[in-house]
Amino acid sequence: MIEARNLAYYYPGEEEVSLPALSGINLAVHRGEYLALLGPNGSGKTTLLKLFNALLTPSEGEVWVKGISTVDEDKITEVRRYCGMIFQNPDNQLVATTVEEDIAFGLENLALPSAEIKKKVLDVASLLGLDHLLQQPPHLLSGGEKQRVAIAGVLAMQPLCILMDEPTAMLDPAGRRDVIETVGRLNREQDLAVIHVTHFPEEAVFADRVIILNQGSLVTQGPPEIVFNDLKLLHSLGLQGPAAVELAALLRKDGFDLPSQLIHSRELVHSLCSWERKS
Amino acid sequence: MFMGTEKLTHTYMPGTPFANEALKEVTFDVKQGEFVLVIGPSGSGKSTLIQHLNGLLSPSSGKVYFDGNAISSDKRELFKLRRRVGLVFQMPEEHFFSETVYDEVAFAPRNLGFDESEVQIRVSSALEEVGLDAGTLAERHPFQISAGQKRLVALASVLSLNPEVLILDEPTAGLDSSGRRNLFSLLTRLNRSKGLTVLICTHHLDEVAALADSVLVLHHGRLIFNGPAGEIFSRREQLYELGLGLPAVTEILFGLSEKGMKVRTDIYTLEGARLEINKVKRRHEK
Repeated sequence: MIEARNLAYYYPGEEEVSLPALSGINLAVHRGEYLALLGPNGSGKTTLLKLFNALLTPSEGEVWVKGISTVDEDKITEVRRYCGMIFQNPDNQLVATTVEEDIAFGLENLALPSAEIKKKVLDVASLLGLDHLLQQPPHLLSGGEKQRVAIAGVLAMQPLCILMDEPTAMLDPAGRRDVIETVGRLNREQDLAVIHVTHFPEEAVFADRVIILNQGSLVTQGPPEIVFNDLKLLHSLGLQGPAAVELAALLRKDGFDLPSQLIHSRELVHSLCSWERKS
Repeated sequence: MFMGTEKLTHTYMPGTPFANEALKEVTFDVKQGEFVLVIGPSGSGKSTLIQHLNGLLSPSSGKVYFDGNAISSDKRELFKLRRRVGLVFQMPEEHFFSETVYDEVAFAPRNLGFDESEVQIRVSSALEEVGLDAGTLAERHPFQISAGQKRLVALASVLSLNPEVLILDEPTAGLDSSGRRNLFSLLTRLNRSKGLTVLICTHHLDEVAALADSVLVLHHGRLIFNGPAGEIFSRREQLYELGLGLPAVTEILFGLSEKGMKVRTDIYTLEGARLEINKVKRRHEK
C-alpha cells in the first residue's frame, strides 16, 4: 500500500556534506497495519513521515502510495489524502474557529457539496466522540480533545493511513490515554494503517510491527515482543525498553525464571505471581 | 520562607464574561536547594503558577514570596527577581532568534548590560555547565544542531544569568530517552552540587520521580497535594480520577499487590522495584 524503495533523503543547504537524513530505506506498509517508529532524535523518523505524505520528495529511490509515486506532482493531493499527518503540537494544526469548521477544512478544499461535507463531518465526529464539541472553539478544548479533532480532520478525508509524529508529547496522561485508545480503535475497526512515531516504548507495545531507525538507517524491525527484548541493541542506541522488559531483565540476573518474550506489564505481573505460587 | 505563595489566586480577564480563575488560594513553600515536581492535568494552573514565581504575572489576590520577601510590583525589583529565578519555557528552542549559538546564550547577559568580556565568561561557563563544547558549537546556527543540543542551549541561555532557582516547563517534551536522561542528570548535578533550587512541571513521571524531594499536585487551580513522591504515587485511584497516571514501574508493583503479593507500592524506580521483588524471593527462601 505504501512502499519505500531504496529511499534516501538529503536536506538541502547543509554546508558540510554530512550524513544523509535517511538512506537505503526499504519498507512496505500493509493495509490496516499498526507500525511504531522509534529511534533517537535526528534518526530520520520525522523525515520518513514527511516523505510518506509528499511533504518531501526523495533525493534517491522512490515512495509509492497506492500506486502513485510521490514525485508525481499532478497527484500529490491524492497522496496527501491517502496519508494524513498528525503533528506533535495540536495547537499548530487547528485552523478554524469551531471544531466543526476545523474538521471540514480538508473537505472544503476538495470542493464537495456542503450537504455532503456536513454529513461526513458529523460521521467522523460521532466516531470520535466529538459530537458535543462541534460548536466549540478548538482553543478551549483539552489537549487530548484537540488531538482528536486533528485526527477527525484527517479521517474525514478517508485516508488509508494516518501518520502521527509524537502525537502525545504535549499531552497530559489522560490526554495520552485518550489519543492512544482512539487511534488503536480506528486501526482495528476502520482498517486504517497507522505509522506512529514515539519516544515512549510503552506506546509502541501494541503495534503490529516496531521499526528502529538510527542515523538515517533502518536498524531493525519486527514484532514488539522481539524488538523490545533486544535490550543490548536498544541500549547501544541510547534507547530504553518498556519498563516491564527492563525490570524483567534485572530480575533474570537475580535468578528469576521469566518468559523471554515478555513485554506487557500485566505479563510480568502474571509471571511473577505464578512464580510466587510455585515457590 | 525561600520561595512560595500564600493564598495565591489568579483570575484571567477579570470582570469580563471570560473571567477564569486559574489559581485558587494556593499556598506552598519550597526550601532552598529542593527539587520539586509540579504535576496536574492540562489547564490545572501549572504554567500560571510558575509565571508568578518569577514575576511574569502578578496575583489577583494573595502573595508570592522569594527569599523571605513578598514579590513587589516595582519594575527594578522584578528585574532583579528574574535574574535570580530562571524560567525555561516549553519547547524553548521554538523561540530562538539569534544567528549563532553564542549570541543566543549571550542575549540575556548583554541585556543586563554586562561588558563583552564578562558576557564571554558567562557564555563559556554556561555552555560548559550544560556539557556543550563551545569550540565546535558556539559559531553554529542554533537551528543546525540536534534536538537535544538545542534544549541544552536554551538551558544555557538561562544559566548565563547565574540564577539561584531554575524553573522548567515540560523540559523533556520531544526528547529521546538518552536526551531525557542527559537533561535529568544535568539538572540533578546543578541541584546537588551547585545548590540550585529546581522546579519542574511535567506530565512524564517515569524518569523524574526518583529525583524529586517533593511533589505538588494542582487540579482545577487548587493545590490538592504537597508531599513526598512515594506518598503521592501510592494514591493510585485518586491520581487516575484526576486524569493523571503513575510511573510504569509503580503500576507493575500495584499489579503485583492486587494479585496478593506483599510488596510496597510507593516505589518508582527500576532498582527500587528490583530490590522489593527480591525481598519477596528471600522471604520464600527462608
